[in-house]
Amino acid sequence: MSPEPLLRVDRLVKRFGGFRALDGVSFHLVPGEVLGLVGPNGSGKTTCINVISGLYGRDGGSVTFRGRDIAGSRAHMLARRGINRTFQSPRPFLSLTVRENVEIAAWNGRGDGTKADLDGLLEQLDLHRHAGRAAGDLNSAQQKTLDLARALATAPKLLLVDELAAGLNPAELTRMAERLRELARGGMALLVVEHLMGFIDHVTDRVIVMNAGREIFEGKLGEATRDPEVIRVFLGTAHAR
Amino acid sequence: MRRGLRDVLFVVLPVVIIAAVAPLLYANELLLFSFVMYLTLAQGLNAIYGFTGYLPFGYVGVFGAGAYGFAISVMILGLPPFAALAIGAAAGVMLGLLLTPLLRLSGAYFAIANLAAAQAVYQVVSNPALQDITKGPYGVSLSEVFAPRLSYEVGVAVLAATLLAMAWLRNSRFGLSLQAIREDPISAAMAGVAVVRGRTIAWLLSALIAGLTGAVFAWHISVFYPETAFDIGISIFATVFTLFGGAATLIGPLLGVLVLYGVYNTIGITVPQYFQLIYGALIVGLVLFLPDGLVSLLTRRGIRVP
Amino acid sequence: MLLHAALSGLVFGFYFTLVGLGLNLVFGVMRIVNLAHGDFLMLGAYSAFWLFGLYHLHPLLSAACVLVVFTLVGLPLYYLVVPRLLAARDSEMLSLILFFGLQQMIEAVTSIAFGTTERSIPGRVLGSGPVRLLGQALPTSWVFSAGVSLAAVALVYVYLYQTRLGMLTRAVMVSREEAVATGIDLHRVCAIAFGLGLGLAGIAGVFAPFMLGSVTPAIGPEINIAAFAVIVVGTLGNPLGTVLGGIVYGVSLMLMQTYLSSWANLLPNLLLIAVLLVRPTGLLGRRVRRA
Repeated sequence: MSPEPLLRVDRLVKRFGGFRALDGVSFHLVPGEVLGLVGPNGSGKTTCINVISGLYGRDGGSVTFRGRDIAGSRAHMLARRGINRTFQSPRPFLSLTVRENVEIAAWNGRGDGTKADLDGLLEQLDLHRHAGRAAGDLNSAQQKTLDLARALATAPKLLLVDELAAGLNPAELTRMAERLRELARGGMALLVVEHLMGFIDHVTDRVIVMNAGREIFEGKLGEATRDPEVIRVFLGTAHAR
Repeated sequence: MRRGLRDVLFVVLPVVIIAAVAPLLYANELLLFSFVMYLTLAQGLNAIYGFTGYLPFGYVGVFGAGAYGFAISVMILGLPPFAALAIGAAAGVMLGLLLTPLLRLSGAYFAIANLAAAQAVYQVVSNPALQDITKGPYGVSLSEVFAPRLSYEVGVAVLAATLLAMAWLRNSRFGLSLQAIREDPISAAMAGVAVVRGRTIAWLLSALIAGLTGAVFAWHISVFYPETAFDIGISIFATVFTLFGGAATLIGPLLGVLVLYGVYNTIGITVPQYFQLIYGALIVGLVLFLPDGLVSLLTRRGIRVP
Repeated sequence: MLLHAALSGLVFGFYFTLVGLGLNLVFGVMRIVNLAHGDFLMLGAYSAFWLFGLYHLHPLLSAACVLVVFTLVGLPLYYLVVPRLLAARDSEMLSLILFFGLQQMIEAVTSIAFGTTERSIPGRVLGSGPVRLLGQALPTSWVFSAGVSLAAVALVYVYLYQTRLGMLTRAVMVSREEAVATGIDLHRVCAIAFGLGLGLAGIAGVFAPFMLGSVTPAIGPEINIAAFAVIVVGTLGNPLGTVLGGIVYGVSLMLMQTYLSSWANLLPNLLLIAVLLVRPTGLLGRRVRRA
């Protein structure tokens, strides 16, 4: 018996002018599951995250989180209800300290925000040594980690991860993949957008391949690489046969 | 000792005590009142600009609304001064409420629309067609309630309340969440901060401070014209003082007023254009070389200032 | 009366297009707000008084001189302040404050140099007698100024759409990052646009005495509000949308002055606020909201 889905996305549509960035995408996620979202640039992956996290409205379909449609909920409401995300290019509060960055999320999100929790989180992500520094003084890998810490401080049940791996070195990549797996083992559901297939392979249970705002494949990554439609989208028509 | 308490004991209390006893030591009460007024207004501007990054260029519009709220209450409704103060403050908040939709705009448009709103209020108040209510361009006289000493003391009380509110903002979770909005509204939303509500509260607090200060100003000087109560120079001073000292801190605006307004009054105002020139140059220099104000000389080195 | 108001509104609309054009060009290319725009316009007007008073120079020649001189002044001014601004985090907001400071300086220096008395140039310099249009009489100076304004708009159009530099300028307007990535010399393009912005403000200033009556050193902020109303109505960052904004502004101004004259001075402020609230993208659409 499979558990009740935490997130159910049903025939989601998002238009920008005449362009359909999302054209009827459907999938679901259960607690503890890691779903990869892959596809060429412009296929709608980040748009998908922007809609689910409440930054964009939608033009059709539904997004149900913990049994309730999130229609009309603003981003901060969703953050308090348990959906959070990271940004492809991190956007921390540059002039505030690392600790303050995380504190704000802990106070306003669903986390308890006790001092011990925060210290634990910072230590877990190797940020504790920088706690008193301004976020603007961190390097870009550290800012990415801080972005993740900000998201985690709200104690999300669903975490949307937008290209976290880009710009990390191999050692950092392995650590980050391990962290995400660990979060999933703790019961969190993750939706991971990523270009690095090795990372996707390592982290996800299952993938959805998107192209032009539609899903063209759903299943194991290993099977996706043998799917003719997926091959055509990624490598061009010449390789389709 | 908690930071908030420390700020109250070592910053708010001394300032308020000095302001309260100053008339015993120095005879020019009007000048002292101007200091108290700018100390309050600079903090009021700080509440919205320092903490959310939204600069109300037309801040004087709210101040003027407070002044005329007081004046009309006294002249037309015949209210006693304290009731008129409440009306003045309410007028400021009402104007603030009316302008809250502007907070959906990004910062620069907020600033410009805010300035336009202040001009519009001035044009309405000074319009001869409304002479029966506002006395139009001919100005108001409130000699029947004139009470320089009492109104000065009320001004100090308003300053004290404002400084306490700012000490709270500086040290509270709410104040820090506001600063997150200033840094990046989208990230702030993802941290669970209610962005529009936060800005609205900060703006209404700011409007309350300006409205109340305007009302006390009307009471203290008791004879004034629309050009006096809506003088764009008041917005300019409050902005420059806040920028010069350092926004989003408690002592920044205080420093700004004490240093700049002190210098301004020491040298004397023989040719106002020279001061306009110096202030203009000061603004340009500040933006280019010290955009975070005097206090940033310390904060840059990792020293926390109240 | 209605036809007269509409016609003179159209004429004023063309003039106000010119008033807003430079501000919008600077905003469109650099995403900064030149709050000293109205003061450069005022300086243009003072240049015209001066050239007329000393040499009886025809305003058309003054306009040509002002365009060249102001554009040239704009280049060093650009390099002095704007690159620093563009590198800052919130350049839009900082630019507003910085140019506000510059505005105060210009106003102060002009007051010190020329005094605060009102200046004007007699309208007959541009031709005597009214021009008849559709049976309505309009002052020649108005029609002349409107004609110059249209010529200036055409000039900007030719620059943006027919020259290589103009094409690069449009590229920067669409996306600064991508323009830089393709190897465009950002600061050269921006400096010229900035200079042109000042030059256009200057020309508008030369004709201000005829359209706005007398001019004082303190007129800058008032002009700014009008210019903002025009470009916000006509879409921020789209120089040619300014024409639409100018016409809407001019016609509503004339209608107000004809039918509701004691409240006409409220118009620019109310129009600006109303458009920002109701349709913050301007009539032709561009995002200015953030949250």
